[in-house]
Amino acid sequence: MGKTKVKEVKPKSSLTFFQKVKRYKTLMLMCTPAILFFLAFSYAPLPGIYVAFVKYNYRDGIFGSKFVGLKNFEFLWDSGKLLDLTSNTILYNLAFIILGNVLAVFMAILLNELRCKWFKKVSQTMMFLPYFISQVLVGILVYNLLNYDYGFVNGMLTSLGREKWGPYSDPNVWPVILVIVYLWQQTGYNSVVYFASIMGIDAEIIEAAKVDGANGFQKIRYIILPSLKPTIVILLLFALGGIVKGNFGLFYNIIGSNSLLYSTTDIIETFVYRATMVDFNFSTASAVGLYQSVIGFIMVITCNWIVKKIEPDYSLF
Amino acid sequence: MKRKLIALFLATTMVAGLAGCGSSETTSTDSGSTDSAASATETKTDNSSDSAASADSGSTDSAAIDTSEHVVITYMTTGDKPTGTQEELDKVMAELNKILTEKVNAELDIYFIEWTDYLSNYNLTLAQMDGTVDLVGTASDWLDAWPNAKNGAFLELSEDMLKTYAPQTWASVPAENWELCKYDGEIYLMPEDNYAQWTNHGYIYRMDWAKEAGLTDGVKSWEDLTTYWKHVKSTYTDIIPWDSDGTHQFQMASGWVASHSNFVPIDGLSNGGLWGGTKDDLYTITSPFVENTEMMVEYAKLMKEWNEIGVWKTDVLNNTSADARADFRIGRSAADQHHTQTWTDLCSATPSNTIYETDEDAEAGFFYFGQETGNVVALSITHGAMAVSAGSENPERALMVYDLIRNDPECYRLFNYGIEGTSYEIDENGLRTTPEGFDSEKHNINGTTNYWWGRNDDLEIKDATRNWDAIDKLYAEYDSKKINYPYGQFVPDVDNIQSYINNVNETHNNYMKQISYGLYQGTAEEIVAEYQEAMKAAGIDEVTAELQRQFDELYK
Repeated sequence: MGKTKVKEVKPKSSLTFFQKVKRYKTLMLMCTPAILFFLAFSYAPLPGIYVAFVKYNYRDGIFGSKFVGLKNFEFLWDSGKLLDLTSNTILYNLAFIILGNVLAVFMAILLNELRCKWFKKVSQTMMFLPYFISQVLVGILVYNLLNYDYGFVNGMLTSLGREKWGPYSDPNVWPVILVIVYLWQQTGYNSVVYFASIMGIDAEIIEAAKVDGANGFQKIRYIILPSLKPTIVILLLFALGGIVKGNFGLFYNIIGSNSLLYSTTDIIETFVYRATMVDFNFSTASAVGLYQSVIGFIMVITCNWIVKKIEPDYSLF
Repeated sequence: MKRKLIALFLATTMVAGLAGCGSSETTSTDSGSTDSAASATETKTDNSSDSAASADSGSTDSAAIDTSEHVVITYMTTGDKPTGTQEELDKVMAELNKILTEKVNAELDIYFIEWTDYLSNYNLTLAQMDGTVDLVGTASDWLDAWPNAKNGAFLELSEDMLKTYAPQTWASVPAENWELCKYDGEIYLMPEDNYAQWTNHGYIYRMDWAKEAGLTDGVKSWEDLTTYWKHVKSTYTDIIPWDSDGTHQFQMASGWVASHSNFVPIDGLSNGGLWGGTKDDLYTITSPFVENTEMMVEYAKLMKEWNEIGVWKTDVLNNTSADARADFRIGRSAADQHHTQTWTDLCSATPSNTIYETDEDAEAGFFYFGQETGNVVALSITHGAMAVSAGSENPERALMVYDLIRNDPECYRLFNYGIEGTSYEIDENGLRTTPEGFDSEKHNINGTTNYWWGRNDDLEIKDATRNWDAIDKLYAEYDSKKINYPYGQFVPDVDNIQSYINNVNETHNNYMKQISYGLYQGTAEEIVAEYQEAMKAAGIDEVTAELQRQFDELYK
């Protein structure tokens, strides 16, 4: 949003790098911590990627170990599951991203429309709380709700005279359950960002709309949603970068080692965890990480390129 | 202006903070690495001079060992950090360290690897190589001893080193056993080779209930177990016969194979011993899981039956919080699946096994896998062993300390049993009992130090609470049937087949969970066919071929 403004003010690019530094020194200074952070934690460790190409030996270290080329990537191909795993991971993430954002925007708008102040605060807090529950506890919670012999849901069903339901032996229901659990956990947190940007909408525009006779729905449709568009696009672009990175905590704690459910719930992370736990191989794990990062990189570049074609102002770079 | 100042202030503090962190980190690692490098070179020179000295004098010359500097040796073991026993442990360690300081000017510190995710934490700690640990309890079959040796986590122990710094250990372990501790011609492990124990798996069950079920001699086969489950299920309706936590798929499957063939698995290659030879033909690699379809189909059928009986909970695979052993101790479980050593505990009227107080008929039997066919393989001597971390700054002193806790009666007893009079007592029969006022929550040192890497039958004092009549009887039975573990010298080179092994392991795990707990869809024939096909696709044949090649090199 701010970006467009900067562009307008931007002088002709006749300024040299140092002149720019001088002119924007305050901005530069304010950016320094972030720049340093990324230098230290994201760029400095980059050479470590090399570990994905060696047979890592503790004593020789990353750069002293034997170079083995693409051997560490082999096991992913050899497993014959790479496609299934990648597609599971991507589909789950798509569901999380799309439903998550739609629901978050929806909730943010609802919150914005609430007039009763205490109710607004309470419901916001209630929505936020699940975000702070550890995934381990979420796993236990889900198990206690859904397990066949003693689960809460089955207790209800039997007392209603219905037949028991066994989700832990039925892979097909898990995509739905997992998405619900995810939404329950994350919506409160995600909606805060949208709520904040709704708050940032110029009150005058809304006033003007009201004067022009717009009703509540029209206000949302023609003022709020369009104003949220840049935020939505940016958040989507960010999320797409991680589309091949699965939510390990969620899957590992809820599905655990129930191999009956793997056909629909196994993602790259959980598979790699199981397979590399056996020989404790840093190199294979890094190889997988690199694979995910490369795909993520391609995704971001492509999506950004598409966004730029459609609406140049909304693109990240 | 004011805002600018604040921004400036914030930015500088953050930068300072970050820079501070960064620089201190780098300096510390720097100094660490130079330190260890320095000490490594030091070690080398020390060694050579020492070995020269010892070669001169012809034998171990303690005068040649420089122990002028007081050092702390950290010993790494699996086990939960002590809670109730901490106080007593501190006393024991103070006592022990007095002796160690006097004898070798060193003290011992314990580094616990908690049971939760122990294998990854264990390996991660070893990978640090920063001198965190010196002595490392390890095992070739359950603690990745060989992979770690190959990865460079363990120090090569030269004969001179062992002779000089651990002379008693060197002398007590026969040459052929040292051979079994070598990889690529170098010794990495000091084996626990003088300690009688059996860790072959099976089912621990209630003998009294089995008798009620008409099994007068106890459970002798898998089919007897079926009878037993049915009886328990119908008679004791309020308990789950065996509340498995869903992690026994490997043991059950290999147990079935042991009971229905003469297969001898190779340790430490994969979970559940997929590859091995047969008693008749030890050096031809086979994998009955994929080669003997009929046997596996029978297995799948029986497990489906067990699942239908309700031996375990329906959602057993997610039932991670179950603890059948704890339930067994208090009489709330009809079985536990684990090894003989666990049974020796569960069959004895120890304070924690309250079932023997509340129910005087209670008796724990053990059905061991392979009972039907007499297929029993003795434990490999590296089921417990001590190694020295390659990152250790004082490997010589570590060896000296180990030599004492392994061979010195005073140190051994202190470290294993605690302080006499508080944690243990020796009765008139020479057996170890608990003294008056003993509280296992506070004084059980034996269960705290977890010294499983060099126990020594010459110094062991038998535990009087154990049911030795039953235990000795079973051990005698084992001894009459056993063969020694035949593949002790085989340390497979898996670099080229590791990806296959990982995938095979993963496939085996996934299918065995379904098969072993009878949770598969369709018929037994279908699931076994699917399993075997998946194993082939994952590359089991490639691994078998490669292992055979290495076997031929070693044994032919």
